[in-house]
Amino acid sequence: MIENIFPHHHAEEDRGTAATRAVDASVRLPVLVLFGNAVHWLVVASLISFILSVKLIAPGFLGGVSFLTYGRLAPMARDLFLYGWASQAALAAGIWLMARLSGRPLGGILHSTLLVSATVLWNVAVLLGTLAIFAGYSTGVEWLEYPNWASAMLLLSFLLIGIWAVLQFDRRANERAEVAQWFLVAAFCWFPWVYGTANLLLTWKPVQASAQGPIQSWYCGSLLALWLLPVAIAALYALMPRLLGCHLNRRNLATLGFWMLLLLGGWNGMERLIGGPVPAWMTSAGVVAGVLFLIPVVIVAINLLGMSAEKNADAEEGVVIRFLRTGIYALLSVGILGALCALPEISGALRFTAVTEAKTQLWILGAISFPLFAVVYESFPALLGRDCWCASLSARHYWLTFSGLWLLVGLMLFGGLFTGLALNDPTVSFLNITSYSYPFHVLECAAQLLLLAAAVILGINLSRALAWDYLFPKKK
Amino acid sequence: MHRLPTLLSGIFLVFLTSWLGLVAYPVLGLGRLAPVADADTGGTLPPVYGGQAVAGQRIYATEGCVSCHSQQVRQTSITQTDIERGWGVRPSVARDYLRDSTAFLGSRRLGQDLSNVGVRLPDAAWHYKHLYHPSSVCEGSLMPSYSHLFSLRKIQGQRSDEALNLTGVDAPKQGYEVVPTAEAKNLVAYLLSLRHDYPLPEAPVKKAAAGPAK
Repeated sequence: MIENIFPHHHAEEDRGTAATRAVDASVRLPVLVLFGNAVHWLVVASLISFILSVKLIAPGFLGGVSFLTYGRLAPMARDLFLYGWASQAALAAGIWLMARLSGRPLGGILHSTLLVSATVLWNVAVLLGTLAIFAGYSTGVEWLEYPNWASAMLLLSFLLIGIWAVLQFDRRANERAEVAQWFLVAAFCWFPWVYGTANLLLTWKPVQASAQGPIQSWYCGSLLALWLLPVAIAALYALMPRLLGCHLNRRNLATLGFWMLLLLGGWNGMERLIGGPVPAWMTSAGVVAGVLFLIPVVIVAINLLGMSAEKNADAEEGVVIRFLRTGIYALLSVGILGALCALPEISGALRFTAVTEAKTQLWILGAISFPLFAVVYESFPALLGRDCWCASLSARHYWLTFSGLWLLVGLMLFGGLFTGLALNDPTVSFLNITSYSYPFHVLECAAQLLLLAAAVILGINLSRALAWDYLFPKKK
Repeated sequence: MHRLPTLLSGIFLVFLTSWLGLVAYPVLGLGRLAPVADADTGGTLPPVYGGQAVAGQRIYATEGCVSCHSQQVRQTSITQTDIERGWGVRPSVARDYLRDSTAFLGSRRLGQDLSNVGVRLPDAAWHYKHLYHPSSVCEGSLMPSYSHLFSLRKIQGQRSDEALNLTGVDAPKQGYEVVPTAEAKNLVAYLLSLRHDYPLPEAPVKKAAAGPAK
């Protein structure tokens, strides 16, 4: 009776062997808690983003209240996307993928308890940090607005969770490590380093502000390119071949892509300061890295899109594969847009316009979020031991996120191009240019509404799956 | 690449390159920049902020002004726009931020650049009115009202000198006045102290470049 309500995507035998089931059971609770919380923060962040987009067409909307001003809501939304949703989902995806790829269950009940406690700590830190920005205790450092105690909690929590992913790699069953495993190890090593360094030097014990610019840019660049993106790429490398039933050819190319991503990811961020108050060699390095960054991105695309061309045509196109494939296209777009924006002439005209925001959105909501969504959809049936998704909700979530993202990015690109060209003509007043962007802001509002609807649908789909599991637990 | 120590040392070495270049070098190099002597006044450049301005910088941070306003005038080799628009007379350099607690460089200009707002708009009364209701002085502005930095109070005896001269819809009812709170005063003191129109050894000011703000 209950089983009939759930649509069947996977045949029972697809759920794998007893060994896989043991691995899944060992990480079940922490991964479910991490993903569950991540998706709910995504809903909150999308709601705030929608409010922000309305504020750009009606500055008086929810006006006159200190904690609802644009300046406080904008960092709240950004940090919720980064730490509430993306980082938390990346932790969950990382733990699950690493456990699966390594083929060993996480040892003992102690580890699971510790992981869940660390997860609670992470979410308390995100909640308190968000409330602190709300109440006017932001540090004012972009992407690091949480007060010192909240960022310290985040770092501690990450260390408690991340260490297991690295240890899992060390005690893995497969002799020859998979490409996805390298990316995961690198990502889990990088986050504590980058987050710790940036907080230490910018918020805990700030260095003289003349040195802060490059560190801020390095942080923003590396958070995306060296923590979140490697997890997303790991998801692509881990899931694509299995779902399509293909082998990863050109493994040497993947190795090259891995090391190039690591090398360029940190320098890539300096493109955010072209022409700014830093030594010229730093921004030159940023230009070079921004253009060369296209190489590891194209390598991922060659490796994996080539694969989907090879697969046999009669295989079913599930929602997971659609999320993965769109993720690759978003990644390619990020690479191309990043390389263009790193060119000094283009940066000079467009750096402070909506084009920069389009690039950031494409990173966070596209190249990073789409592969993470795929892991959510792939892991839940395995962890809950049944087809827990409502297929029509899943399909709606895909199409709404897809259309919302590309509409938003397209509008921001055109709007930014438009204002950028107008800004270069000093006879046009700044307020005049603001009025030009009005129609774009109106349409962006619609795009944000699509994304909000998508997040809510995912939230409902996921809550439904978890509630069902709680009410009717599957017999072991 | 199949053993953890090998992989970790490889990762460590690759990470180290950007960390050395973009973290260690700035801390040891840019972080040790010193103020220069100002021949005209006998003081130092960049000038030291007053106590109110230091407190105002906190308000600038907590209100998230950096979400919409940058504080950097870019090199003329990249773009002429920043100087042509009157946002500064010379490009910003690292030494300009030496007195700040946080470098509010910004990444988007939904509003105008503020690195020289104290030069461009030196009138405190204008700033109070603008913060209270931005579009009353800048028609079509996207900036929200910061009326929570002001208080409405009953006039006790004589009207305060600090009270805002508000007209139209903003005007308080008879017998009341709108005065800036300490936070608003600190924020405006900070904004007025944002002026980088002096020459530095690495950033001379061309006299001809100083034109009226647009």
